[in-house]
Amino acid sequence: MMVSDKIKKIKVGTASCGIAAGADEVLELLRQYVGDITIEEVGCVGHCYAEPLVDVETVDGTVISFQHVPSTVAGVENVLGLGDRGRFTIPAGRRNKELHKVIGLAGKICPTSFEQYVENGGYDGLKKALSMIPQAVIDEVRKSGLRGRGGGGFPTGTKWGFMAAKQAEQKVLICNADEGDPGAFMDRSLMESVPHQLLEGMLIGAYATGATKLFIYCRAEYPLAIKHLSIAIDQIYEKRLNVIAGLELEIVIKEGAGAFVCGEETALIHSLEGKRGTPRFRPPFPTDSGWQDYPTMINNVETLANIPLIVREGGEMFASVGTEGSKGTKLFALAGDLRCPGLVEVPMGITLAEIVFDIGGANPAEVKAVQTGGPSGGCIPVDKFDTPVDYDSLKSLGAIMGSGGMIVIGKQRCMVETARYFLDFTHRESCGKCTFCRVGTKRMFETLERITAGEGVPEDLDFLEEMGNKVRSGSLCGLGQTAPNPVLVTLRYFRSEYESHVREKQCGALVCNALTDVLLDQEKCIKCKLCIKNCPVNAVSEDFVIDNTLCVRCDTCIEICPKKTIYRVKKGEGYYRGQN
Amino acid sequence: MEQTEYDYLKKIAPEPGNLIKGLQAIQAREGYVSDDDIRAAATYFSLAEVEVEGVLSFYAQFKRNPPGKYRICVCDGTACHIKGSALILDWVSTELGIKAGETDAKKLFSLETVACLGCCSLAPVMSINGKVFGNLDRKATVKILKEHRKK
Amino acid sequence: MDKINFILDGKAVSAQPGQTILDVAKNSDISIPTLCHNQKISRTTSCFVCVVKDVKSGRFLPSCSACPVPGQEIDSSSDEVKNMRRTALELLLSEHTGDCEAPCTIACPAHARVEEYVRAGRKGDFLECLKIVKERIPLPMSIGRVCPRFCEKDCRKNVTGEPVAINDFKRLAADLYYETYLEELPPLIDKQVAIVGAGPAGLATAYFLRRNGIASVVYDQMPQPGGMLRYGIPEYRLPKAILDKELAHFNKIGIKFECSRKLGADLSLKELKQKFGAVAVTIGCWQPGSMRCEGEELAVQGIEWLEKIALNNWQGENPGRVIVVGGGNTAMDCLRTAIRLGSPDVNCFYRRTEAEMPAEGIEIQEAHEEGVKFNLLTAPVGLRRENGHIVMTCQKMELGEPDASGRRRPNPVPGSEYDVEADLVIAAIGQKTRATADLRATKWGDIDVDQETYHLEDNVFAAGDCVTGAATVVEGVAGGRKIALGIVDFLTGSKHQQEKVINVSRGHWSSLVPDDLVYLRNDVSHESRVKMDFIPLAERCSTFSEVTHTLSEEFMRKEGERCLECSCTAKADCKLKSISEEYGASPEAIVGEKVKSGYDNRHPTIIRDRMKCIKCGICVKICKEVINRNLLSQKQRGFVTSVGTAFGEPLPDSCRECGACIEECPVGALDWKIK
Repeated sequence: MMVSDKIKKIKVGTASCGIAAGADEVLELLRQYVGDITIEEVGCVGHCYAEPLVDVETVDGTVISFQHVPSTVAGVENVLGLGDRGRFTIPAGRRNKELHKVIGLAGKICPTSFEQYVENGGYDGLKKALSMIPQAVIDEVRKSGLRGRGGGGFPTGTKWGFMAAKQAEQKVLICNADEGDPGAFMDRSLMESVPHQLLEGMLIGAYATGATKLFIYCRAEYPLAIKHLSIAIDQIYEKRLNVIAGLELEIVIKEGAGAFVCGEETALIHSLEGKRGTPRFRPPFPTDSGWQDYPTMINNVETLANIPLIVREGGEMFASVGTEGSKGTKLFALAGDLRCPGLVEVPMGITLAEIVFDIGGANPAEVKAVQTGGPSGGCIPVDKFDTPVDYDSLKSLGAIMGSGGMIVIGKQRCMVETARYFLDFTHRESCGKCTFCRVGTKRMFETLERITAGEGVPEDLDFLEEMGNKVRSGSLCGLGQTAPNPVLVTLRYFRSEYESHVREKQCGALVCNALTDVLLDQEKCIKCKLCIKNCPVNAVSEDFVIDNTLCVRCDTCIEICPKKTIYRVKKGEGYYRGQN
Repeated sequence: MEQTEYDYLKKIAPEPGNLIKGLQAIQAREGYVSDDDIRAAATYFSLAEVEVEGVLSFYAQFKRNPPGKYRICVCDGTACHIKGSALILDWVSTELGIKAGETDAKKLFSLETVACLGCCSLAPVMSINGKVFGNLDRKATVKILKEHRKK
Repeated sequence: MDKINFILDGKAVSAQPGQTILDVAKNSDISIPTLCHNQKISRTTSCFVCVVKDVKSGRFLPSCSACPVPGQEIDSSSDEVKNMRRTALELLLSEHTGDCEAPCTIACPAHARVEEYVRAGRKGDFLECLKIVKERIPLPMSIGRVCPRFCEKDCRKNVTGEPVAINDFKRLAADLYYETYLEELPPLIDKQVAIVGAGPAGLATAYFLRRNGIASVVYDQMPQPGGMLRYGIPEYRLPKAILDKELAHFNKIGIKFECSRKLGADLSLKELKQKFGAVAVTIGCWQPGSMRCEGEELAVQGIEWLEKIALNNWQGENPGRVIVVGGGNTAMDCLRTAIRLGSPDVNCFYRRTEAEMPAEGIEIQEAHEEGVKFNLLTAPVGLRRENGHIVMTCQKMELGEPDASGRRRPNPVPGSEYDVEADLVIAAIGQKTRATADLRATKWGDIDVDQETYHLEDNVFAAGDCVTGAATVVEGVAGGRKIALGIVDFLTGSKHQQEKVINVSRGHWSSLVPDDLVYLRNDVSHESRVKMDFIPLAERCSTFSEVTHTLSEEFMRKEGERCLECSCTAKADCKLKSISEEYGASPEAIVGEKVKSGYDNRHPTIIRDRMKCIKCGICVKICKEVINRNLLSQKQRGFVTSVGTAFGEPLPDSCRECGACIEECPVGALDWKIK
């Protein structure tokens, strides 16, 4: 195989999404052919849509990137020969609009290399912090204007101040890495790609607040993140970086066991204590009485990962980016109906349009809305996309910033079904303690099920609105307080979709199975019989007619038809047995 | 309780706060948590059996029945959902003849849905024994299953 | 530390540090409802029935857990707060399954405490049984014989077989103790009531007035009191000697009867209104319905024919060949009376099928047994006299679409006419009220009272058939009680407690399968229903002797063992029920899936009915924090959260000595087996 002699070093992105796209196989093949050229595994730069991504550093210092590298000999040969195929350049939209701060090192360094982290300014922040008095560190964070990145948006400096003021024999710092919001992967990327940056942030936090016991509560679904963090913690212990002001800090990773509600502070603490993850009433706040009754402070991954930068570069530098009320940059996990899904880091105050269209490459003509804040957030319609992304603007639309999940919803999606999906999630994730959340979300979900099944009545919409508001104000924790948001917001912006479901019994997007038929266009059909052979319920007759009485709307035929002659149509437009 | 059988738990400090960790260790070995495991964990962590059961049943991660050789998790995160994860589940279900939450008779496959695998940009995705497969359509899904069946 | 001053419902109050808003409310005599809060254990904050509103922030707070902050303004009584509490209750009710009251008790028009009197019978205490019956039913001997048994139609035992023979408890208890049992009677007030009509409704009015300390005079147009009990229901179903015994008790408790006094003729409503504190009109339905066919005057009217025979002490001539037109209970009474008078050929003509007949199934069956011939889907179109006989022209019918009554409408089959001959044709097709002109009537001719209070005007009330149209004895009795209580309020200026009760139900038996049945007590018998004890058929067909004997104590005690005793063990002290009633929360307001988590009656003395659980977790914490046993825990999460034991095993036997959790359970999810 031709291996270019210009190659100095090869980097392969092997974060979870890279692996899922086949990076492991590519890596293995590369290793077979590179000879003595260094290959490094690096984390995720965020260009998930281009995975597997391979960066080739040449002797003259330039970097040539290859996207979608196939795990074939030919594919690897193209990379090693610096071929023309699959060259990757960052799209202009992304290059211009993004501002990489917190993920500046992601994808550039080997996540488990302590040395590489240090070479790139790692632990300078900690060093600087240790040279300051703790209060000065807190002041710096306060000056930065950093607000909690987990969704709540509470000023981090203020929280640290509370914690530092507590007198106790032991104080606890917890990093909330239970990224439970389905559709968000910012924290995963950070932990997989720059675990040391998070740990540095935690150590600075511990120093500033006097915490001596450090937990990382990470969801078990992130095995690679846990692996990288464990390695990094071992390295920290080895370098004795965990000895701060003469005290040896304990850093423990605890794996969550799959419960969305454990993103809630008090539930998370219960879970850490080995109990059922049910939240409790606050006050007392965890900073007064948390893990095993010790003062406990909980910060999110992205919040903590920002800390080294703030300390290193100064709070003012951080605050120079962003808006009046929302400072710095924010990570978003872009996914859904767009061309370039992935992780993006943007300055606060950028508009939704810039994120979705310019960075994400979504086609404005095909986008209906964007869901921010996951199951706790809301769908913002495309006509509000000039809204700047900051905590307060999103709230004014009925949505929330949330942790940073951003799902682009195309015009072909049904908003009622989307709301049903979120309520399905939240009602099952409710811890089951409080009445409004346990039963209220269930009743709302049942109502949405009825509506999407074509059995809704106009009064259902009033019920959803009334119950939604009551669940919101009658719930103990954030889960219940925000669970109705997806319904209330879609009722506000997409009421006509609900109306057509309950009044005309039609789903305009042709998504709700009970409100659609499947039709085979006989004129275009080439009689290949693939649909007949593959239909699980024998709903396609020998003369190529789909019987909607039998059809279960599994879309198998639609997917399999080579000529795309089968498609969903409005209820009543398909054939039913016994009709002519 | 066979004292030797649960020796591996001894790596974990026997305090109640480590219960979840202990259960995770048990499940990592056996793929599920049996009644006997619950009794052993209760003894080891000095908890009542019913407390252990209460904690265990709260968390989605813990399984009470032995899984199949290949544990298939169809992701139903938001991104996957809007990209048609319900259909993926349908296809897998039809192909294997089992519903979500079930294991087939030969104990080869077990099927479940999960909230999010964090690979939203590759939606829709599913994982088999932790390995993630992305950008699924019907053809790819069926092909992956067939390959695993052959193995 | 300093006291915290804040405002609660507009009142300045102060709290000690650490006190919750609920604590302060309790000290300030402001009632805040709560289900999950319990002093003995740590806070759970789960039910949210205790919400209050922080006026300034607009936030709702669980008062059981929220401590006031200085200057805070808390609202605990506005409609908005009550509405939130009501919704919380309605959400809890929507997942709560059980039977606040047994279906038999709900079904009884008089709302007699059926389950309780059956239990008394099961335990052999038939005096107690009678006492309970008479709280609602003053004519247990009659009703014990003639009631169509609404209770049995809704009995849960129908799921697995035949219902419990409930009415036979009443009959036996009354036969044993009616004449000796004397209820406690309060002293009389100085006002009296006139009751017009001594039928079931009038008798019940008099009885319940007396039980409330009011004397009455009962007027009747017939020579003897009893109304339809005496002049409508035949001797073989209700022997008049029995009725006389029953009425003797009315005399004994001071109720006066004035017979052969007819309203409008020798009795004036105006005068009664002046002379008495109140007037109860219970004149019944004595106007026969019309056959609406040519020559109908050749037919006699069923109720008039029966009345004539009753006046003749249930004797009469052989009427020859008899045709009875109609399918109701009066028709059956006429048919079976004709058999007993010796008629060789007794025919029932009814325009629909047997399934649509309004008569009780048992009546139809007994008529069959006694030799009545049924000519169904046949309607008369004309009567004429020929050679000393009556010829009835009939027409065959077929059933079409359901009509307003829900029954399928009979349509004539063209060209199907034919003639039948008889010596006597009796029309038994319904009765109407024959109201005097001074009584305001509805368009159907019934007395037009307020549907809630049965108040007509001034001091006049009305109840019974003359208000509802022809109905059953027990319904008449229920109406009588209702106006009696209304009259008590009217005369004494009191307001008897509005019975605003909620009832959660596991569902009608027809929607249930055997696995849905809940056995709240040990050893429910699965034997089949006790058989009725008939006199020989030959005797039934030739005499007016009562067709059945009263069943023995031994049989009835055994029958009682069959009863499931469905009602909730906690119905007297269920907090969910009482708070829901206080807040007007309805079990039907929010509907959705209920978790079928089953019940556990394996413990010898404790029943765990998990479907009633409201997940407050009090039992879990009581067992863990107070008793230190740790036998219970919440399991799962979300809507399917349940409280259970390790591996679903029964509670240990030792729990019988503790029961601390039972004492604190706000509903009936954990209870002693008290039945």
